[in-house]
Formats: sequence, structure tokens, C-alpha cells
Amino acid sequence: MENTLRQKAKDLLASGEVKVVIGWGWNRTKTRTTPVFITDPAEVDQLVWNPLCVNNLSVYLTRKFKDIQALGKPAIVAKGCDIKNIVVLITEAQLKREDVHIIGVACEGVVYKQELWQGQLKPEIMPTKCHNCDVRNPHVADFVVGGKSTFTPPDEPAGMVFSKIKELDSKSSSERWAFWINEFSRCIKCYACRQVCSLCYCERCITEKNMPQWIETSAHPRGNLSWNLIRAMHLVGRCTFCGECERACPVNIPLNLVNQKMIMVVKDSFDFKSGYDEKVHPPMIVFSPDDKESFIK
Amino acid sequence: MADKILKKEDLAKLIASVTGKGGRFVAPTTAARQIVFKKVSKAEEIAPDYILARNSFKEFLFPQTEVIAEFTVCKDTVDMRGVEVEAPETVVFGARPCEAASLAGMRALFTWDFVDEFFTKRDDNTVVITVGCTKGDEACFCTSVNLSPESTEGADVYMRETEDGGYAVQALTDKGKKFVAAHAAVFSEGSAKARALFMPEKVPGVDLKKISERLKDKSHYDNPVWKKLAMKCIGCGACTFVCPTCRCFDITDEGTAFEGERRKNWDSCQYDSFTLHASGHNPREHQPQRWRNRFMCKFNFYPEKFNSKGCVGCGRCIRVCPVRLDITDVMQEFSK
Ligand code: SF4
Ligand code: SF4
Ligand code: SF4
Ligand code: SF4
Repeated sequence: MENTLRQKAKDLLASGEVKVVIGWGWNRTKTRTTPVFITDPAEVDQLVWNPLCVNNLSVYLTRKFKDIQALGKPAIVAKGCDIKNIVVLITEAQLKREDVHIIGVACEGVVYKQELWQGQLKPEIMPTKCHNCDVRNPHVADFVVGGKSTFTPPDEPAGMVFSKIKELDSKSSSERWAFWINEFSRCIKCYACRQVCSLCYCERCITEKNMPQWIETSAHPRGNLSWNLIRAMHLVGRCTFCGECERACPVNIPLNLVNQKMIMVVKDSFDFKSGYDEKVHPPMIVFSPDDKESFIK
Repeated sequence: MADKILKKEDLAKLIASVTGKGGRFVAPTTAARQIVFKKVSKAEEIAPDYILARNSFKEFLFPQTEVIAEFTVCKDTVDMRGVEVEAPETVVFGARPCEAASLAGMRALFTWDFVDEFFTKRDDNTVVITVGCTKGDEACFCTSVNLSPESTEGADVYMRETEDGGYAVQALTDKGKKFVAAHAAVFSEGSAKARALFMPEKVPGVDLKKISERLKDKSHYDNPVWKKLAMKCIGCGACTFVCPTCRCFDITDEGTAFEGERRKNWDSCQYDSFTLHASGHNPREHQPQRWRNRFMCKFNFYPEKFNSKGCVGCGRCIRVCPVRLDITDVMQEFSK
């Protein structure tokens, strides 16, 4: 698979069709993968594809990354779940479909965090998203690397995130409140969750608007709660459950629970799931005359 | 040379002795599936087997957020009131030799052109007990910045784990000696065989002198190598928040229109707003420039200005970085 990937990257760069290939490569000691930006066809051997390729590289397609944009048209190596974010970026007019070459990779899952890797991909080190994945064969791509995956996701979503949501849903609202206040109390306001998210592409986040200061920047209970609520609300109907925020959070706040719960609410209320079709707009930004809610009419 | 022994079963007594006198005992403990420095009250809470905590103990000297003044807006004036520095007697137990070495730089900065009592008063009331590492991981690189698990820089008391689960104790500073004397009943005389220390391998080719020379020559500012190394940085700032030597802060006012508090909050040079001027101009507009600043701060500003270490090789930044940007790669590059 890696050979096909490298060959494709080489062809794209050599023909001038793209100017940079955004992919994964090894770190110096070959123990972890790290994003690489290949501009020279002679360097395509740096590209790798394996279960350590956790990063959702679509963040590098957003407008914050001016240095990368300055290189010219990109090709991006992407798993199905990463492609969902690219789809949202296209839907939200951050990117035109023709402005990016998507090299999809057929996928059998990745590790939840790279440090869990011990040479073998076992179900217990995979994130919940992989156990329920319906895009192991990339759904939007210009080229696909790898043989078809035959995996079919379970009818009832399964895995840690879903079990925990069920558990929390069965609790009283005050117990749920206590759970989240405790989780958010650890937040150190580093904003890694925001920076790693390709859908948090605002150049000036509301936390940085300080005249007036809408969201207190202090990492005290009020500031932490308001930050985590605003992050969640701004991703309703948009988040694809790629899990990057939870992976990046240095203090292990279970952000995947928040994200998946929002996805379930949007699915129930609007029968919508983000990241599948760039032509369908998310419910939060469209108005339909036959909306079942009447308050807006 | 160890002066005393702290028997395994006497650690609980030490905690009781410290907390009994009203002090707080801070040690690495497990919380939310991580090792973190926290206030503990029992010996069982201390993680038995850890490499190092996710946070450094700096937050007990320089909290993430703290009130430094309160204000009320009156008709023609603003009434500004100072607040008392909260500086409880604190014992940091189980710090690693790398992070303790960060104290010199912290002290230099917070007493440089202004004595920041919010730091100094806490520092005065804190005893740092380091325990030499018997375990490490591939991110550890203290030996590449002239430190090792045997280093005692910044420690008031240095301990080595012994084969029988206790500690060989060496009081180093006056503060450390006073501490051991004040809790004399807890420590024993004698000797015990110390466990072998873990020595991280040196990062191949790293030469601190060379790095420092190259950074002094400002022509590296526009070197395309910064882009090559740091273009993948997403500017999350996690590296700076977990770093024991990073101590940049922001001052912010919070409250209603008429009264509130002024706070000192951790800030990070990795944020685009860090250097954003009111005019809209940003001297460090691109992420690689911000990364250059971080590296300069550690390997040029601190060594040159304060004759202290800007990086102590703890590897925390490498462990938390979501894109695995490894500072030792940059050290290698600038050793060429
Ligand atoms: S969610 Fe699907 S495409 Fe994404 S890593 Fe897991 S198995 Fe692969
Ligand atoms: S990554 Fe975690 S600690 Fe950082 S701001 Fe987000 S929730 Fe808070
Ligand atoms: S720069 Fe990294 S390795 Fe150096 S002291 Fe800071 S966190 Fe530790
Ligand atoms: S943790 Fe990594 S990505 Fe985040 S600011 Fe530091 S170097 Fe950049």
C-alpha cells in the first residue's frame, strides 16, 4: 500500500498537478508518526500509512495555515473519517472540491493514542469511532490506496463512548452536571482541542474577543465551563467525531462524549449526520419552509 | 552521600508530620488516567511507579490563574486594592531532577526588574524534594542538556529510592536541612542500597554550545529551516503549559462593569494573539516564527540573560504534542 501511495504522490508532484502532499511520516526514531509536507517528488518515500496514522490532517487545509497554502494546491492523504471533515469544510465554503486532491486510504482502524501501540492493532486500543466506522472505504476521494475493507459497522453503535453516554443519560441532571463540572475542572485552557480541530477554523475565536470578553480566559470553574460549552455549541451539527480534540487534550477530558451526544441529538432532531455529502447543508445554517418547528415562522 | 534514611513505612509519617503543621504535601498521584502533581494526604495516594507527572510542579509556585488585585469603578475614580499572596508552607515530593532545575530560571525571571511576590513568597515557603529516576521513556533527554537523574540543581532535598522501597535522603540547601531537622523523628540513621538510576541516551549529535552560537547570530531568523521544522505546529500551546520552565503570563480583568478582579493567567508564545499589537500588526505572524521564539527562549534568552537553563530535557513537550513536534530534532538541526 505504501508503494502505491508514494507512487501516486510522486506522479502528482512530478506532473505539477499538486505542489504539496500532506501526509504522515515517521519521527526520527520511527516510533511515532507525524505530519509531513512533501514538495519534492524525490522525498515521497517519507510517506507512511499504518495504524499509528491518527492525525486528522485536514486541519492543514484551513485558512490558519498560510505557509502551507502559500505552497500551492495540496494533495492530502486521508482516512474516511478525516474525509468527513474535508466534506464539512467544502460545505461551509472553506474549500472548493477542486482545490484539493484527496488520496483516500482504505482503513482497518487506528490506535486511540499512539503511546498505546505495541506492534499490533487490537480492538481494545482502537477508538470508538473505528468500531462503528462506515467509511473504511473512503467515500469522497480522487484516488484510493489499498484494498477494499469488508467491515460492516454494528447495527447498534458500540464502544466506550456509547456505553458512557448511556450511563450518563440514565442519571439525573444534577448528577450529570456534577460529572461535567468535575471533568472540566481539569481544563488548563490550552485550547489544544480547538487548534487541532479542522472545523475550528475561525481566525479569531470568540475566546479571543475581549471587548467585551465574552468567554473568560481564566482557568477557573466559570471560565472552563463557558469555554467547553461554547466549543461544544459551535460544533453542533458539524463535528464528525474524528476525536482529535480528545486525543490532543493534555488533561484527558472526555470530549468525545460531548461530541457524540451532540451528533445523536442532531440525528434525532434533524436526521442529519455531517461529513457525508458536501452538497447537503447542516441543519443549523439552513431554513426549510416545512421545518417541523413553528417558532421561526 | 546520604545523610539519612526514610523508611518505606515512614513516608506516611512524613506526610502526617507536614500536614499536621498545617503545610500542604504535593506529590505525583494518579488522576483521570494520568500521573499529576496534586495535594495528597495519604502515602497510598502517591503513584508507586511513575516516570514523571504530566504537569510540572510549577503550578504550585505560579498558579495557572490567580487574583492579583480587586477593583471597584466609582464615579470619578477606580478603587484598586491589592490582595494578600496565598503562600502556604508546601512540600513538593517526588519532583524529578530535570524539573527542579527549572527553578533557577523561574527565580531569575520573577526577581529580574521587579520582585514578583506572588512567586517569591510561595517559593520561600516551598521545599522541593527530588527523587532520582529509576525509570524513563524515549522522550527523556536530560543528559543532552547537561543534567541527569543525579542532578541536584533546584532541589532542597535529594532522595534515591532504595532496594527495600524506602529512600536515601540528602539535605542540600539550608531550607532542606531545616526541613529534615524539623521532621527529624520521621527519618532514620543508617544506610541502604540505592536502586540503579535510569540514564537516558544522549540525543545523537546535540551540541549546546553550537546551538547557542548559532542562535546568537540573528541571521538564522529567516532561515527556511524554521518552516521546515515547525510548519506542522498547530499552535495549541500544550507544550508551553506543561513545560516546567515556561512562565509567560497575561493580565486580564474580569467581573461586571463596576467591580471585579485582575488576574494573572498563564499565556503561551505559541498563540497568535501573544504578540498581536493593538494596531493589528503582528511581529510573529506565522507559526514557525512563534516556534522560533520558543526555541530561542530556551536555548538563547535564558542561558544568555540569566545564565540558567531554558530547557531541562524533561520531554513533556514531546509527549503532549498532538503533531509530535520534537524539540530534540530542532536541537539536532541547530547543532550542525
Ligand atoms: S474511523 Fe474508520 S476510517 Fe477512521 S481510522 Fe477508524 S476505521 Fe479508519
Ligand atoms: S484541550 Fe483540554 S485542557 Fe486544553 S482547552 Fe481543550 S479541554 Fe481544556
Ligand atoms: S522545552 Fe520541553 S523538554 Fe525542555 S523543559 Fe520544556 S517541556 Fe521539558
Ligand atoms: S504542543 Fe506541538 S502543536 Fe502544540 S504548540 Fe507545541 S509544538 Fe505546536
